[in-house]
Amino acid sequence: MPDNGRKPETVALTIDGREVVVPKGTSLLQAAAGAGIEVPHYCYHPGLSAPAQCRVCLVEVEGAPKLQPSCVTVAQDGQVVRTDSDEALEMRKGVFEFYLVNHPLDCPICDMSGECKLQDYVFAEGREHGRAHEPKRVFGRDDFGGDVLYYGDRCVMCTRCVRFMEEVAGDPRLTVVERGSRAVIDTFFDQGLEGASFAGNVVDICPVGALVSKEFLHKARAWDLDHTPSVCAGCSQGCNVELHTRDNLVQRLKPRENQEVNGHWMCDYGRESYEWINRPGRLESPQAGRGSRRKPTDWRDVLGRLHARLQELRGAEVIVIGSPLWPNEGLAALDALAQAAGQVSRRVFRSPRAQDEDPLPGFPLLIRRRDLAPNVDGAGLLGFDRDGSDVGEGGLDGVAAHDGILLVLGDELRDQSEEFGASAALFVYLGTHDSPAAANADFVLPVTNFAEQEGTFVNAQGRVQRFQQALRPPGTARPAWLVLGALAAALAGNGPPPSRADGAFAALVAAHPAFAGLDYDVLGVAGAPLADAGAATAAAAGQRAP
Amino acid sequence: MAISVKVMKRPEAGRTSYMRATLKGMSLTLKHMVRPDSVTLEYPEEQPALHPRWRGTHRMEVHADGRPKCVACGLCPTVCPANCIRLVGGEDDQGNRYPIVYEIDEFRCIFCGMCQEVCPVEAIHVGRHFENAEYTRDRFVYDLDRLMEQDHATTLLWDPSDPRSE
Ligand code: SF4
Ligand code: SF4
Ligand code: SF4
Ligand code: SF4
Repeated sequence: MPDNGRKPETVALTIDGREVVVPKGTSLLQAAAGAGIEVPHYCYHPGLSAPAQCRVCLVEVEGAPKLQPSCVTVAQDGQVVRTDSDEALEMRKGVFEFYLVNHPLDCPICDMSGECKLQDYVFAEGREHGRAHEPKRVFGRDDFGGDVLYYGDRCVMCTRCVRFMEEVAGDPRLTVVERGSRAVIDTFFDQGLEGASFAGNVVDICPVGALVSKEFLHKARAWDLDHTPSVCAGCSQGCNVELHTRDNLVQRLKPRENQEVNGHWMCDYGRESYEWINRPGRLESPQAGRGSRRKPTDWRDVLGRLHARLQELRGAEVIVIGSPLWPNEGLAALDALAQAAGQVSRRVFRSPRAQDEDPLPGFPLLIRRRDLAPNVDGAGLLGFDRDGSDVGEGGLDGVAAHDGILLVLGDELRDQSEEFGASAALFVYLGTHDSPAAANADFVLPVTNFAEQEGTFVNAQGRVQRFQQALRPPGTARPAWLVLGALAAALAGNGPPPSRADGAFAALVAAHPAFAGLDYDVLGVAGAPLADAGAATAAAAGQRAP
Repeated sequence: MAISVKVMKRPEAGRTSYMRATLKGMSLTLKHMVRPDSVTLEYPEEQPALHPRWRGTHRMEVHADGRPKCVACGLCPTVCPANCIRLVGGEDDQGNRYPIVYEIDEFRCIFCGMCQEVCPVEAIHVGRHFENAEYTRDRFVYDLDRLMEQDHATTLLWDPSDPRSE
């Protein structure tokens, strides 16, 4: 290998009898993980420094006088490592016994139960019964401010939380106080973690139930939650997340690693903004008729009538109002339908913007962006222009007097009056919730939100990211691309409409050169940059100018 | 109620003779009249002795101050094979985790006793009890108050002198 200058230098070693080849500088722990061997660890976290203080990653290295902490021991050529030798197992068993001397083991009431690393490791490697008879020391719990609660008794003193605040958040608000068995994590003065905008990550990285989320406290058990790879819809950074769902409701968001976007982290704003996904009172079936003449109907009927009406009005002026909470597929299908129906005069979206950005100092790629919607950049690439104010209201000049076709997707028109769209020849409203401003809509069509369908967003870096379906849609609600794609295809008379999300994405790629070369399957769960990501974001930034 | 009732189809009236069956039954009755090894129990004056492992309707144990012992750990709804326990956990004013909602649908329950076995705080128990008649079906969904009011004996799933059955 050293003779191949173009490849990064690698070393070859043996771990538990398996030949492993890793890049030079890799730690034994990472090398083992790459070979599918998990070595227990608390203080080591891939996104933080490694102080080698928890002593549970000890492994046997042939030739070394004693066991080595695998998180900081660098893999060497020809090394022979045993992670499961009798000596290593015996030593780790002893370490875990010490961890349990003062540990309350109140797993039945601990929020971490089911995903706790102490539970897992002790179950796998620890002693069957404890031998300590002394009473355990008791700290009780401490409110750290923000969304974070600290149960000192459960802490394993890994200091991941302390190091996160210092190294990644750049805001050292946590520290270890006291020593030995009296050591606890504490905050300075009374300020605590209040107002720190990335502090929620300490709950994720705490390997045990010492740091828990107040918001999630007692809400659900870890094993009841379904995990779905998704993308945070809080801002246009599009952090990769997992939606944790139960009873068809989103219960919490957890960051999902993606070194190109968010590392291991996400911001507290995004973490807390998911309640809108669960909002009750959904539209469940299509409706037709204006005002008091409105009647619920079914999809076959409503699509037939809508198609006939669009045929009648063929060539009329079309105004399109979209929403950057909707994925590219829906917005592209909306655009396709508008083009097939008539002369598109305006394509707009309205979306709230924050006062400023909020970067994470220790991971510069991650910035909570100003645009507080996931697909502002995708909407820009698909030809939609921003309209209205920084709270996502106002704008829409001239829509009141518009007498052509008005298509609205996802914008609830909260600031508009009941007269909205009164003069339009055809007003179609696609949304998740009914709205007073939709009173004049000729057709009200229930569509799914992003968590109830799969699709893609484009983030502020010009990266196309795919998310999967996490929830069952209410009633007969359908993805917007399915409804709009069927109408557009019928109107333009060009073949069968896409029936799956990958087909909808392919249709979008074919129609919009900015997405050229992308393949739905290749996107995977990590996403891929647009071919011309730089130009695309510059264009999007241009149209985003204040 | 979502539970449907199956109606039995019987032959039309007048198309069946019960004479043979009646005679057969009477002969059996007469046979037992002259055979005094009766096992009849004069219920309800006389109560049957239930086995220690008899598993009947549930009972929730309570603390001395009247709080339920359940800590809402969620293990019993997880283990329950009939999926008949509904639990919503929360925190009371003293900071204890407790069940805000705890319901068992005794109609769906198959009385396996696994909820009692899995409970880490010995809160939920199946009971040595069988008199459960009610006038309406919905009374068979026992809520937390009802479970705490029960005062029948609880099941012994293992011998306390030999907990590991050795
Ligand atoms: S931290 Fe882990 S081991 Fe400790 S009580 Fe919680 S779940 Fe149990
Ligand atoms: S609170 Fe959690 S993350 Fe912090 S030191 Fe304790 S165990 Fe580690
Ligand atoms: S006895 Fe079995 S079926 Fe009945 S509630 Fe308990 S676990 Fe469920
Ligand atoms: S197992 Fe026991 S403590 Fe846990 S929820 Fe059921 S009754 Fe409550």
